[in-house]
Amino acid sequence: MTLRELFGRLATWRRRDAMAHELTSEVEAHVALLARDLEREGMSPADALAAARRRIGDVGRLREESRDAWGFPAIDAIVQDVRYALRGLRRAPGFTITVILTLGLGTGANVAIFAVLDRLMFRPFPLLHDPATVGRVYLRTTYRGRSNANSTFPYLRFVDLSAATRTISDIAAQTEWRFAVGTGEAAAVRKIAGVTPSFFRFFDAPPSLGRYFVASEDSTATPVAVLSHRFWATELGSANVIGRRLMIGVVDYTIIGVAPPDFVGTVAGGPPDIFVPLTTIPANLGSWSVESYRRDYSWDWVQVLVRRRPGATRQDASAELTTAYIRSRAAARALNPRVLADSLAHPLAIVGAVKTSAGPDGGAEGRVLLWVAAVAAIVLLIACANVANLMIARLVRRRREITVRLALGVRRGRLLGQFLTEAMVLAVFGAAAGVAFAQIVGAAIQSMLLPSGSSFNLATDWRTLGVALLCATVAALLTALGPAWSASRPDLVSSLRSANRDAMSDRSRVRTMLIVVQTALSVVLLVGAGLFVRSFENVRAVPLGYDARPVIEAVADYRGYTMDSAQAVVVRRQLLAAAQAIPGVVAAARINSRLFGTNTAQLRVDGIDSVEALGRFNFQITTPDYFRVMQTRIVRGRGFTDADRDGAARVAIVSEAMARALWPKAEPLGQCIRVSLGANPAGGRAPCTTVIGIAENTAQQNLTDDPRFMYYLPVDQVAPHMLSTIYLRVARPDARGELERVRRALTRAMPGNGFVVVRPLQEVVDDQSRSWRLGAALFTSFGGLALLVAVVGLYGTVSYSVAQRRQEVGVRVALGARRGHIVRLVVGRAIRPVAIAVVVGLAVAWLVAPKLQPLLYAQSATDPETYLVVAGAMLLAASVAGLIPAARAARLDPCSALRAD
Amino acid sequence: MPDSQPPLLAGTLDLLILKTLSLGPMHGYGIAQHIHRLSGDALRIEEGSLYPALRRMQVKGWVASSQKKTPTGREARYYKLTAAGTRQLAVEEDQFKRSVAVTTRVLRGAES
Repeated sequence: MTLRELFGRLATWRRRDAMAHELTSEVEAHVALLARDLEREGMSPADALAAARRRIGDVGRLREESRDAWGFPAIDAIVQDVRYALRGLRRAPGFTITVILTLGLGTGANVAIFAVLDRLMFRPFPLLHDPATVGRVYLRTTYRGRSNANSTFPYLRFVDLSAATRTISDIAAQTEWRFAVGTGEAAAVRKIAGVTPSFFRFFDAPPSLGRYFVASEDSTATPVAVLSHRFWATELGSANVIGRRLMIGVVDYTIIGVAPPDFVGTVAGGPPDIFVPLTTIPANLGSWSVESYRRDYSWDWVQVLVRRRPGATRQDASAELTTAYIRSRAAARALNPRVLADSLAHPLAIVGAVKTSAGPDGGAEGRVLLWVAAVAAIVLLIACANVANLMIARLVRRRREITVRLALGVRRGRLLGQFLTEAMVLAVFGAAAGVAFAQIVGAAIQSMLLPSGSSFNLATDWRTLGVALLCATVAALLTALGPAWSASRPDLVSSLRSANRDAMSDRSRVRTMLIVVQTALSVVLLVGAGLFVRSFENVRAVPLGYDARPVIEAVADYRGYTMDSAQAVVVRRQLLAAAQAIPGVVAAARINSRLFGTNTAQLRVDGIDSVEALGRFNFQITTPDYFRVMQTRIVRGRGFTDADRDGAARVAIVSEAMARALWPKAEPLGQCIRVSLGANPAGGRAPCTTVIGIAENTAQQNLTDDPRFMYYLPVDQVAPHMLSTIYLRVARPDARGELERVRRALTRAMPGNGFVVVRPLQEVVDDQSRSWRLGAALFTSFGGLALLVAVVGLYGTVSYSVAQRRQEVGVRVALGARRGHIVRLVVGRAIRPVAIAVVVGLAVAWLVAPKLQPLLYAQSATDPETYLVVAGAMLLAASVAGLIPAARAARLDPCSALRAD
Repeated sequence: MPDSQPPLLAGTLDLLILKTLSLGPMHGYGIAQHIHRLSGDALRIEEGSLYPALRRMQVKGWVASSQKKTPTGREARYYKLTAAGTRQLAVEEDQFKRSVAVTTRVLRGAES
């Protein structure tokens, strides 16, 4: 096709309808002229016109032949097919809606998982310049066959790695902390990123306001701050804040710039609020940090990003960094001889994925999601089986139309093209439904797996939209291709022509098999759902020994307020008194060990050789009201009182489990335990602490396999000047509503710039059961989905076969069959494949059970009760799906049924 | 006498139309009449192939068309040769002559 012709075709394609019209009038003119000439030759006007028309022939055919010369016949054909498909689908709304919903649910589940996986592992960070050349540095050591990849290093290690300049053009370090920002009641904990000035060069992100910090400010640890756009907009009202001062932690910073919107750095969980020079971070961590970070390799706190030079591969960069790492280890060994020899540690630097979840030691979330992805894939399989079933049913229903069209000489390719077009149209709608569904499900999964704050909007997310379309298209094509191919097969058509019903039985066998497969898969998922739900119930039913719902955890941050221990005793007592005085607070206690953040100390008991051998014993240091706050019962003896102070006899309370473990036969009250919480007094033996009470067992270490060995000591006898955490019990049943009020009241009571961070204690407890909840939620939703899809599929099949057997049913009714008999007949037919599927599904579940067992708590993966319930539910659902069409069949009027066809 | 009409040689329809139009703008019926007359009433172009051929040549840019009045006052679509059409006519004419010459030579050789 020449260029000129292309333009010619383009021009004519745009006005092809007008051209068709022109052709008609031109031919009319031709006919008129010809008729006139014939008239001159002596014909009558009527004969002349008829002869002229005969000569011209069929104008429609003429137009068709000219059309090939115009425009783009292939495109016209596609447009025609799409129109035809849309018309056909509109005529079968039941089929269309079912297929779109099924495809939508199937793809939606997968799209949601993809979207979360993509965010967690694959998608580059926004605004990152040329992401392909950027990598995160991981340092791996392999000691005694155990390999450990780290992405957080000492500052000096970063300095040493900067020597690798042959393959690396730019290197940056970053660190993340949570510090209090602002002063007074408005002070709140924010996410602070400490970065080197080179960090900003990794992004195409010029500041929205002001400037970024420079190398000289980093090397001199100048307290300057760059705000994130979000923090600037929401907390400071987008004011011109350049030059303003901002208290971050205990350091006074000067604001010099605002980052652009969407700039989040390279942090996976929630973007930072403020960026400061890396070297200003240690000032907020205490004098020890300031002194040590440039001097030795004692603490890991920076993460390193590198940009490779053009032409340098990951391997090149890793090799050069490994050399620098080995040199750095030698320097560290010179300071500290305990650094392992390289021959033992096998040090290796790896330039890997910027996202740590996709790095050499990816976290658990990624593994969990990959496992969930497999479940989602099963849902898609079920959906595919269902759609294939519906497609077959539709083609069978259209067999007359297809036969007629083939008989009229429609090319087989064209017919196939039309089926595929219809499948594509369905795929597009299915993908749209899938994205809508994934938006809801994905956001829920993300909120369970990732910290909040990261956006989850799929409508503008091209990667996810692409995957949705791909997923739906593959599903639609897979399910349409087979049926379409067989429907356009001539021999089949000939058998259709003779209306041979035997040809149909072949199809219904395929359909029954599809029903069996999808139902069996649903059964497997439902068994999983049942097991996970029961396991989650078991976890929730674990007696905790406390009631966390009305409790608020408040952590006081004195923020550099200096006090000696005598002052500290007074200040901390005052804070507790202030907490107890807040209206609506029932009781409050200072504590040492937060829930699930237990502490252990050296414990000796006279008469027992090694207490350690019995297990881990955790201690709590607290004030008398602790047991009231937690609602933990004192089973025997007494609780603490204000009289248990320094100078009085040392006392302790132990848990029932601990008492039983230490003194299985003796009376625990009055026994003596010796706790070493620090340096022992001269003589080396910790003083005797008398057991005065036995407390109910509490889950403090974790929910499930904690032996619940716990002992409690009164703060005034152990560390009266310590303990920054307070637990408060409020009168309301749920602490969440009181959170902000309590925070303000406590922050007002803090000296200096100190502030308080609060959290509902129930959150801490819920975090512990998160993995069980996640499993239960995902399996239940996917299992429910699978059940729904399977039932819809079954309903479709049964209704279809009822329609097919109208005549048979009509004959039966005419011969006097009762309604109940007809219903039993139809439902029985519906249930038979389901019964087979249930057996197959249960067998598969039973085979997979050993793999599932480690994920369950106090729940056998082969629990017969669950299996029975699932089998019953499936059969019940199948009966319901069969009952509706059965009722329709029973109402059938035999006359009309027999007259049709 | 349509039965005695010799068949049109393949590929010559375009050439005939181009040649006809080289005499001046003409409507479709005129083209058909002209060819019929010049061939001594021996050749009648099928209307069924004339119009598609004209459309094809229009898309290729060899002919252009416009709506005009005939001498008898009737609206008709007139076709005229474009510059590209003139060049194409030369090419096709040359090709035709050469192919006739070659074919004739072969026929003559086979007869002798």
